[in-house]
Amino acid sequence: MEKKFKPNIVGFLCNWCSYAGADLAGSSKTDVDSSLSVIRVMCSSRVNSNLVLSALLWGSDGVLVAGCHPGDCHYEKGNYYARRRFALLKKIAEVLNLEPDRIQLSWISASEGKRYAEVVNKFAEDISKLGPNPLTSNPKV
Amino acid sequence: MNKKIGVYVCECGPNIPERIDIDKVIEELSSMGEVKTVKRYSLLCSNDGKKFLKEDIEKEELTHVVVAACSPKEHENTFMKVCEEAGMNPYLFQMVNIREQCAWMIPDKEEATSKAIKYIKAGVHRVLFHDPLKQKELEINVDVLVIGGGISGIEASLSLAGPNRKIHLVEKTDSLGGMAGKLSQILPHQGSKIKLVKEKIEQVENNENIHVYTSSDVKEVRGFLGNFEAVVKSNQENKEGIEEEIKVGAVVLATGFEMFDLKENPVYGYGEIENVVSALEFEEMIHSEKIELKNGKKPKSVALVHCAGRKEKGYCSKVCCLYTLKFAHYLKDNLPDVDVKELYMDLCLPHKQDQSYFDQAKEKGVEFIRMDEVEKIKKSGDKIEVEYRNNDKADKVSVDMVVIAPAMVPSQDTSHLAELLNLPLDKSGFFKELHEMLDPVATPMEGVYITGCALGPRNIPESMTQSHATSGKILSSLIPGRKVKPEVKVSEIKEDLCTGCQTCLSVCFYGAISYDPFKGVSVVNEAICRGCGSCVGSCPSGAIRSKHFTYYQLYQEVMEALR
Repeated sequence: MEKKFKPNIVGFLCNWCSYAGADLAGSSKTDVDSSLSVIRVMCSSRVNSNLVLSALLWGSDGVLVAGCHPGDCHYEKGNYYARRRFALLKKIAEVLNLEPDRIQLSWISASEGKRYAEVVNKFAEDISKLGPNPLTSNPKV
Repeated sequence: MNKKIGVYVCECGPNIPERIDIDKVIEELSSMGEVKTVKRYSLLCSNDGKKFLKEDIEKEELTHVVVAACSPKEHENTFMKVCEEAGMNPYLFQMVNIREQCAWMIPDKEEATSKAIKYIKAGVHRVLFHDPLKQKELEINVDVLVIGGGISGIEASLSLAGPNRKIHLVEKTDSLGGMAGKLSQILPHQGSKIKLVKEKIEQVENNENIHVYTSSDVKEVRGFLGNFEAVVKSNQENKEGIEEEIKVGAVVLATGFEMFDLKENPVYGYGEIENVVSALEFEEMIHSEKIELKNGKKPKSVALVHCAGRKEKGYCSKVCCLYTLKFAHYLKDNLPDVDVKELYMDLCLPHKQDQSYFDQAKEKGVEFIRMDEVEKIKKSGDKIEVEYRNNDKADKVSVDMVVIAPAMVPSQDTSHLAELLNLPLDKSGFFKELHEMLDPVATPMEGVYITGCALGPRNIPESMTQSHATSGKILSSLIPGRKVKPEVKVSEIKEDLCTGCQTCLSVCFYGAISYDPFKGVSVVNEAICRGCGSCVGSCPSGAIRSKHFTYYQLYQEVMEALR
């Protein structure tokens, strides 16, 4: 029987909101899909296109960037910059022949442990449906 | 230098071993080339644990340390301190979160174990790319510039001034006291009357550590916490145009408020109709103990109109209900036959004593009329008619005198100072606090604080409390003889890669980046930078590096995640 595809997802979480939200999900013992690997950054605005694209080019099946809700950024405006960059990244993903849904930007606050679990579980499920990253599964690309 | 990494896995009591097979983790990690030692410990954050860690780092002569335990939000600083005590640079340390984000969220033990291994390996790869960052220390000036000589500014100055700390109090008018100084009396349950402000002014004038600049403006402020330079320009008759440069460590903005200009909305008839006065004019009447109509007679009936400008401005000014109640009491006490009507949209009686103050006014015969909006105030014979609408029903009252309570609006200097200091304003034009609940007097500029009505409408006790809050912030951050420690994990710009496009300047919320026109590159002021990395993300030429969150460090984590 074919083994069920388990995606490999990279998640950049901002230190102040989303990373704390992930901590809360853990301390409230919420089950979270293990296909996402967390990388802590100070602000979602730190995640430049280079990092997201590197992850995809090196075979990540999906990239999640999560920051504070609009208006709640610890650095006031960082999440807005992240949002703008994301609009652009989605287009770049298309150029690379990748489904834009492989990258996702979410707002998760420090008090939203449950939401963190929901976002990650849903994203992992969506990526599982999309299947492996075509850049790695198709050696010709 | 030969790199020797030590990996320490904390059990956190039963928390981690319940879900993670630590023996397997140790086995996997031991096979990594750079790892000199992998050890487990029952509770690493305990005193015994810290002692063990310190001694082991020294014994193994480690250069880098990875601790796999709880969230870095819990104990990153604890272990960085241990590393420092053991003679290491504390930034050659990486904390790996295998409790909250691993043991506690992945129910399957095997899965959780392999995830933990992945995270720790990422930590090991990452820590190899860490730079030994240094905590800088800067000399500080502990003096404070207070802008605005109202009750907030006065209170901030009084609570800050001391033999080791000089205060420069700048007031744009020719006297201290501000709006509070114009009030005839403060509410009865708030203690003494105008005496309070007078006494405070006297205290300021007698305090040798407070230098008062009246009729003066602040023209320029630049710098950062502990090191600000400001230019104060005098508008006094004999000193007009004279500029003085002062050096301070912190700035308090206590610029207060102004009254909504009633002439902006013609329905109030203010300035057109006789005996239609603003609340401040009525305060003056009480002050001079002359409540009279223009013809010298005592009014037989007075309408107190609340909420003028509330619809235009979009917020409740919070204090008008109480001071109009104060007017009503005054009228009833001093002109026994007077008929007093209060017309309000909503009554705002937030403090515990307010309800009884309101009830007493009712007992004295004050009539309270709810309205949606004033339609028109107009003259009708000897009387003034206030036409209003309530639930779509038009009605009116006819009185001798109308007192209007206008909304409190930001003072004129607010926008100018916001521009000067690169501070955000809220949508009503008041200064915006860093966080309404968590940091209500701070601004994005460290060392710049706001107090009182510069933040929005509030009463005198609230303003004074806030001034104490700003003082607390300043007293605890600028201690005479100490140095300030700026953020270590800041951005740095590689001059040879920078093209001088200045995109980073536009995204930096703190004004930490400036442009050097001679070199044609952007420059980071490390004392102001908070290390968010917005500039790093926006730099099109990759010239900016975020210390401790560099591309290579994060890339190691990405690669390990994908292995």
